[in-house]
Amino acid sequence: MAHRKPLQSACKTFEEDLVLYYYGETGDDERRRVNQHLAECISCQGFVEDLRRLLPQIAKSAQMPPSFWDEYYRETVAKLAQQEARKHWWRALFAPRQIWMVPAFGTVAVAILVVGLLFGKGNLNSFMHRTSERIPQEILADENQLQFFESMDLLESLGTLEKQDDHNADSTNTQSSRVRQQHAVA
Amino acid sequence: MVDLQELRDEELASLCQQGEGHYFEILVRRYMQKAFHIAFNFTRDPETAKDLSQDAFLRAFANIKQFDGRSSFYTWFYRIVVNLCLDHARRHNRVTWESLDGMSEQSGEQKQLADSTSAPEQEAIAGEAKRRADQTLEAMPNKQRTAFLLRNHQGLSIADIAKVMKTTEGTVRVYLHRAVAALRQSLMEFV
Repeated sequence: MAHRKPLQSACKTFEEDLVLYYYGETGDDERRRVNQHLAECISCQGFVEDLRRLLPQIAKSAQMPPSFWDEYYRETVAKLAQQEARKHWWRALFAPRQIWMVPAFGTVAVAILVVGLLFGKGNLNSFMHRTSERIPQEILADENQLQFFESMDLLESLGTLEKQDDHNADSTNTQSSRVRQQHAVA
Repeated sequence: MVDLQELRDEELASLCQQGEGHYFEILVRRYMQKAFHIAFNFTRDPETAKDLSQDAFLRAFANIKQFDGRSSFYTWFYRIVVNLCLDHARRHNRVTWESLDGMSEQSGEQKQLADSTSAPEQEAIAGEAKRRADQTLEAMPNKQRTAFLLRNHQGLSIADIAKVMKTTEGTVRVYLHRAVAALRQSLMEFV
């Protein structure tokens, strides 16, 4: 096969520079140095020539028809939209076009609260009553308040005693007047 | 009136960051072929390349706020594509090179390789050389292959490849040289 020939070997010290030279990745100084060397070295000239023949061929990739790219673009945009929809699903609930749902949610929330109070706690009055009953218990936990309520009890007791005393006094007076009346009759 | 197609990548990305997500569609149209071809170079399978490159667009869009403009948009985006391809290669371990033989695109490539002469013998040699080159690329370490594909197939500069691979330009040069040396060695008898 006459067209086939082995790849050229390059000078070892220049090989890396020649690869970069082929890709246009050498600086000005390097390029001058490589050019000077290439002018004198047939092996390195052959090496660069081989790269020029070989590497562009390897780079060739699949050529897809225009319809493929149309479909690709359409699919990608659809996937992006789906991703956005999944990410912001909760925003959709409160989107401006559904603003009417806010008072509706509020009404439902109030209704649930009322039903909960009525049926969950027996009824609203008993709940409120229990709430008011709990207050003295909490206050009694305070030592000063305890003393206060004890003194209140005492005062109530004193009041009872005074009433009893008044009642006793009344009954004594009644008995005395009866005795006096009996004596007067006698 | 500003022509949207004339907006720079970074301007479009900035608009997306401000909530104008529909501008991302211009970036999709601008980069879909490059993204697909990078993925195809890694996977050699058009369906997988399509899925991977589309996934790269989805990830780029989902993370657009992380693009800080310190690098160019395409460097940032190429990095996403390459990472997905490398991750795919790691998970699947082996590229389905065998399926290449039955692909219509592949036979088209072989024809392109042999277009200069169109002789049957040339065509066969070009096909075999292409297959050998693909096998050599498959056997390469990922970093060498990435550097080579981004330079040789995508035309990125060494400076940009260094940014995509988050390494130094010197390291990229070494990867590139080793990749070319390996390809040259494997194709010694074909060219």
